[in-house]
Amino acid sequence: MSAGTTSVNLDKPVAHPPRRMPGDHGSPLTQSRGVARVLRILSTALIALWFALPFLPLVLWSFANQWMHPAAFPMEAGTDGLTAALANGGGLAFIHSLLLSLVVAAIATPLGAMAARALSRGHVRFGKAITVLLFSPVLLPPFAAVLGLNVLLLRAWVPPAIGVVLVLVAVAIPYTTFSMRAAYSAYDNGFDDAARTLGASSRLTLWRIHLPLIAPALARSAFLAFLVGWSDYLITLVVGGGHMITLPLIIASSASGVGNESSVAVLSLSAVIPPLILLGFIARTRNLDPGKQR
Amino acid sequence: MQIWLPFRRAASPTTARRRVLPALATAAVTALALSACSAPTTTPRGPEFFDWADVQIAAEGQTVKLWMWGGDDQGNAYVDDVLAPAAAVQGVTLERVPIADTKDALNRVFTELQAGRNTDGAVDLVWINGDNFRTGKQADAWFCEWTDLLPNMTLVSDSDPLLTEDFGTPVDGCEAPWHKAQFSFVYNEATVPNPPTTIEGILDWAEDNPGRFTYPAAPDFTGSAFLREVLYSVSGGYENVPSVYSDDAFAELSPALYERLDQLAPSLWREGSTYPATSEQLTKLFADGEIDLMMTYGPATLTALVENGTLPETTRVLTVEDGTLGNASFFGIPSNSGNIAGAMVVANEALSVEQQVAKADPAVWGQFTVLDLDVLSADDRALFDALPQSPVVPSFDILSQNANPELSAEWVPALDDGWRTTIAAR
Repeated sequence: MSAGTTSVNLDKPVAHPPRRMPGDHGSPLTQSRGVARVLRILSTALIALWFALPFLPLVLWSFANQWMHPAAFPMEAGTDGLTAALANGGGLAFIHSLLLSLVVAAIATPLGAMAARALSRGHVRFGKAITVLLFSPVLLPPFAAVLGLNVLLLRAWVPPAIGVVLVLVAVAIPYTTFSMRAAYSAYDNGFDDAARTLGASSRLTLWRIHLPLIAPALARSAFLAFLVGWSDYLITLVVGGGHMITLPLIIASSASGVGNESSVAVLSLSAVIPPLILLGFIARTRNLDPGKQR
Repeated sequence: MQIWLPFRRAASPTTARRRVLPALATAAVTALALSACSAPTTTPRGPEFFDWADVQIAAEGQTVKLWMWGGDDQGNAYVDDVLAPAAAVQGVTLERVPIADTKDALNRVFTELQAGRNTDGAVDLVWINGDNFRTGKQADAWFCEWTDLLPNMTLVSDSDPLLTEDFGTPVDGCEAPWHKAQFSFVYNEATVPNPPTTIEGILDWAEDNPGRFTYPAAPDFTGSAFLREVLYSVSGGYENVPSVYSDDAFAELSPALYERLDQLAPSLWREGSTYPATSEQLTKLFADGEIDLMMTYGPATLTALVENGTLPETTRVLTVEDGTLGNASFFGIPSNSGNIAGAMVVANEALSVEQQVAKADPAVWGQFTVLDLDVLSADDRALFDALPQSPVVPSFDILSQNANPELSAEWVPALDDGWRTTIAAR
């Protein structure tokens, strides 16, 4: 792992002696104690509970064959829900959803990053107007936008699968642009400049300096773009013309009936888990700041 | 709000769909229906086939996409496990597209027609009736005059008003019948030992048992049907309500309806301060024991709901002396379907004795047949007679005794609006 032309050795960072600043974590100024500490822990626990609680009935329903009012807990455990979810095409829909969301994230994230970089550096003329334009998919009522766009796509004979990806990318770009703009406004171009000054090619600078530095922001915006594809019902159905049956289609249609609680619970749980896993990965993406390496 | 997280949807499964989508959908459908008329004119495609053999040849190898409401697991399973294999034998692949609302299918068709895609549409077949059929017909979105070609249409009575008109809209061969439904009142035998036997009796029962009865708020499909039931009752029978809408008839007959419902309101669940928004919510109230008497336009699903424990075992269907509303649901083929022949083969197969018997079995789906039992051979008739009886739902001939015809579709919004301004605004 050598940078090649420079004397900067990324493997062995110079050990900085810990320098304490007032306000740093652990200093007397930031130490919470007594009532404040208890309140902080209590409120964190409450918020955690608030988020976790809705999942409890979901988990219970997933393994309940029978659960009637007024029983507090399922009366008969079983896998009927799973069987019904699979019979309704849940398995294939899960794979379709995963593929679609990954493709949307893979396209919308770099586009959003490039747009954000250009906008935050002020290279673009009419930056404000372009920002509004970029955000217009969020501002328009989705239903009107989708139907209007779809007429266009149909007239242009765009294949449904490509149409779905195109429209979802357009919907995701405002989110990726917005989150990347926040990252770029805090980004110090000095790192890129320093690397170039030291002789790194622009490609090397991008790979070894720039991307590692914005990696956490990229992961966050990719997550947002993933969610756009992962949760969409309307665009996938109306633009996709039924060629692509994704998880939200199956969930929405089975949730519109009565008596499917356990299969809807299984489907919903399977829809919640991938984003949660991704969120776990994002929490682990560290800022690969060369000066802060472990 | 482009992002909705899946788990949010699960937390309130029906309200999101019922409140947001239909409002938008209705607006869009209306707008599109209007613009579709002015868009590059799409003359509805007439019959393109001389005879059934022609259709069969053209259908060979086609893949038919059936867009249908996916909220009924039994219905989904019937199509996937019984109808699709039978279509495959005829050389047609049947694929189900599950949707939360039938309007989604119409939206797709209207968009395609607006874009001038007149021969390769993504929707080949739609499970449809009532308002959606009418909207599509007004926009010339259906392929018409094709049902006479289906060999199995000879098993269907051509004078049955339930099958020649769909909520007052003439069918005109633009849709093939699939099954019948009967509006039914449902009660819990354990808590209602002496159930009422007339509509007026039901309302009186509700007043004697405050808080144990309610109905879905119009314009919910079921809630709106309940308004028509009560309108028939307070008018002294359906014979006294002209099926074709007129302002005069509405002005003359509706005040008695709203007066009766106004009088009833304080005795309803939560004193009528709020109403369930959908029939699914009403069923939930009944399932949770909050009410003892409810109603449904889809009695076919009751057997399974009792069996899987959603509804109590003491659930029974009430047979009402004045009779209840009946309707039929159909298969429609959009005029721009790319697989018209295949869709016709599926619709014909669905009308076969084997399919209608299988579907009528409460263990499969329990939907009432559209076939005319009088024209069937003795052997075929025996198949229907041999069907296991549901412990919950009476057979169709009992349930449809004194059946009331549906009013024309124009009555529906008028009655719904009147309910909103008089009863909901109390």
